[in-house]
Amino acid sequence: MTSQVAMQTSGRAWLVGDNIPSDQMVKSHRVFLPMEEIVRHVLEDAHPGFAAGVAPGDVLIAGRHFGQSSGRAIATKAIKATRVGCVVAEYFARTFYRNAFEIGLPILEIPDIRRHVSDGDPVSVDVAAGTLRNERTGETVNGRPTDPFLIEMLRGGGLIPIAARLAGESA
Amino acid sequence: MKMVEKILARASGRAEVAPGEIVVADVDGLVMHDLSAYLTSKVYEERVGLPVRYPERVTLVFDHTFSPATEETADVLVHDRAWARRHGINLYDCGSGNIHHVVAHGGHARPGSVIVGSDSHTPVYGALGAFATGIGNDSHAGMVLPYGKAWFRVPETVHVMITGTLQPGTTTRDVALWLVGQIGEGGAVYKALQFEGEFVESLSFWDRWLLPLITIDLGAKCGLIEPDEVTERFVATLPARPGHEPLRGDPGDVSERWTYDVSALRPQVACPPTVGNVKAVEDAGGREINWAELGGHGGGRIEDLRLAADVLRRLPKHPDVRFNIVPSSRQVFAQALEEGLVAELHSGGATFFPPSTGSNQAVNMGAMSAGEAMISTHARNFPGRNGSSQAEMYLASALTVAASATQGRITDPREVIPDLTELAGVTAGAER
Repeated sequence: MTSQVAMQTSGRAWLVGDNIPSDQMVKSHRVFLPMEEIVRHVLEDAHPGFAAGVAPGDVLIAGRHFGQSSGRAIATKAIKATRVGCVVAEYFARTFYRNAFEIGLPILEIPDIRRHVSDGDPVSVDVAAGTLRNERTGETVNGRPTDPFLIEMLRGGGLIPIAARLAGESA
Repeated sequence: MKMVEKILARASGRAEVAPGEIVVADVDGLVMHDLSAYLTSKVYEERVGLPVRYPERVTLVFDHTFSPATEETADVLVHDRAWARRHGINLYDCGSGNIHHVVAHGGHARPGSVIVGSDSHTPVYGALGAFATGIGNDSHAGMVLPYGKAWFRVPETVHVMITGTLQPGTTTRDVALWLVGQIGEGGAVYKALQFEGEFVESLSFWDRWLLPLITIDLGAKCGLIEPDEVTERFVATLPARPGHEPLRGDPGDVSERWTYDVSALRPQVACPPTVGNVKAVEDAGGREINWAELGGHGGGRIEDLRLAADVLRRLPKHPDVRFNIVPSSRQVFAQALEEGLVAELHSGGATFFPPSTGSNQAVNMGAMSAGEAMISTHARNFPGRNGSSQAEMYLASALTVAASATQGRITDPREVIPDLTELAGVTAGAER
C-alpha cells in the first residue's frame, strides 16, 4: 500500500489567496462523490482554472492559513489527486498541515512566498531541503524547516504504513 | 509543566514533555458525525481492516442529518449504522442533537482526558479541562481505531487572560467572537490557548463552552480551561464513565500571556466572508435578514432558548423572518418543554427543528438563495456553506439573533430592548 512520494518536484506555480477553507477545496455536497468527480471541482472558487489546467508535478502556492475550517482529510486527498507535486503556503491551518503528511501530500511553509512567485512561473521545490527555486527569476527561497518526524512520514507514504510501528505494535 | 503538557505526558506514559516534542498518546475518546464517520470507515475498512480495540471510546453522532432528504444520504446513514454496530461503537442516531453537545451530555469527554475527532470544533471539550483537538481520517483509521492511540506535537501554551464584567446586552458569545477579531484568524497557529481570569471563572459551564469553540478559527491546536468547582458540578450531572484525575498547570508556569478586558465590549457580529471579520453590531450596517437561527456548535443551548423566549415576550417576530430553533440535544429540548419555552417560542412564530446541528453546511436544512441572509449562532460563515455563494451568513449571540428576528435586520439588542438586565442569563455568571 506504500505509495512513492517524491520529495522534489518541478512545474507551473498556481497562486491562490489567504484563509482558503477546506470546505471550499471540496464542497460538502461533493464529499461522497467518487474522487474522479471531486477532483474536477477542486478550488473552483479560489482558482477557477486550476482543476482543468493543473499538470502532474505543478506547485500550488497559497497565502496565510491555507486549509482552515473543517479538518476532514478529503480536502488534502482531493488536492493530492490533482497530482500537484507540492503545496507551498505562508502557513497552513494545523488540521490541513497534519492531514497532508498523513496522506502523503508534500507541503512546505515559506513566509511571504507570494512576493517571490507569480501565477504561472516555473518553479522547483525540494521539500526535505525546504527550498523553492523560481526558474523564471533564478531566485531560491528558504522555507520553515519541517520536523524530521513528518519528513519520515512523508517518505513512508503517509501515516497508515507506519502506524503500527508508531503505536508500538508489531506489524 | 503546563496543563496541556501534563495531560499529554500522562497519556503518553512520560514523566514530562516539552513543546515541540512528538508524543504518541492514549486516546480516551474519538467523536465523529455522520459525514466524518462515513469517510473514516471507508479508509479503515479499505486500508486497515483490524478490530476496533476500544469501541466504548468511540462515539458516532448523526447530527448533520436528522432525517435523510435523499436516497444517497439514507445510504450513508445505513452504511454508518452497520459499521458502528459491527464494531460496537456508541451510536447516537438522527434527532440526538449537535455532535459536541451530545458527547458532552453523554459524559464521553471528561476532565484530563485526550479527545479527538475530525470535526474541527473538537477542541470545545477543553471547556471540561480535556486536551481535545481535530485530527484527520487517516489518524483515526491508522492509529485511533486499531490501537487507541494518536501522535501529537506538544503545543506551546498561550494563557488568554480575560478580565472585567460584561455590560447588559453583551454575552459570552460576543466575547468569543470579539476574540477571533482581536487575535485574528491564524493568530495562534499550532498553539494551546488556555482561557483564564476572573471573567472565565465567573462563567457557567455552558458559557465556558463558547471559548474553546473558537480556537480552531484562530489556527490553534486546542483551547483549555482549568477544571474547578464549576466543572466538577457539571461532571457530577453526567452518566458515570471511566475518567482521569483532573489536571491543572503548575501555578506561575506561564510563557506567554495575552490579556483582554471585556468591560466596555459591545454586542459583536462576524460578517461574511470569514469568522474573523468581526464588527460591533451597531457598526455592521443593519443588513436585512431573511433567516435567524439558534443552533449549531455555538447555540441551541437552554440558555439561548430562554433568551429568545424573553425577547419574543417583549417584541413580535418580524413577519419576513423565518426564525429556526434547533435544540442542541434531546436534554435541552426536554428542558425547554418543561420550562414552557417550546410553547412560548412556537406561539411567538419561531419554528422548532429536531435536535441536530441545524443549518450547518445546509446538509439537511438551511440552504439560501442568492441575496438571502441569515443571522445565527453557528460557528462558520464562509460563502457557499449554506446554498448560494451569494447568500450571506452572519454569526452573533443568541440575544442578537433573537433581537434581529424581531426587526428583520441585524440589530443591536440594546437598541430595542429597554430592560436588558431583566433577561435570563444576560449577565455573565447569572446561570451558575
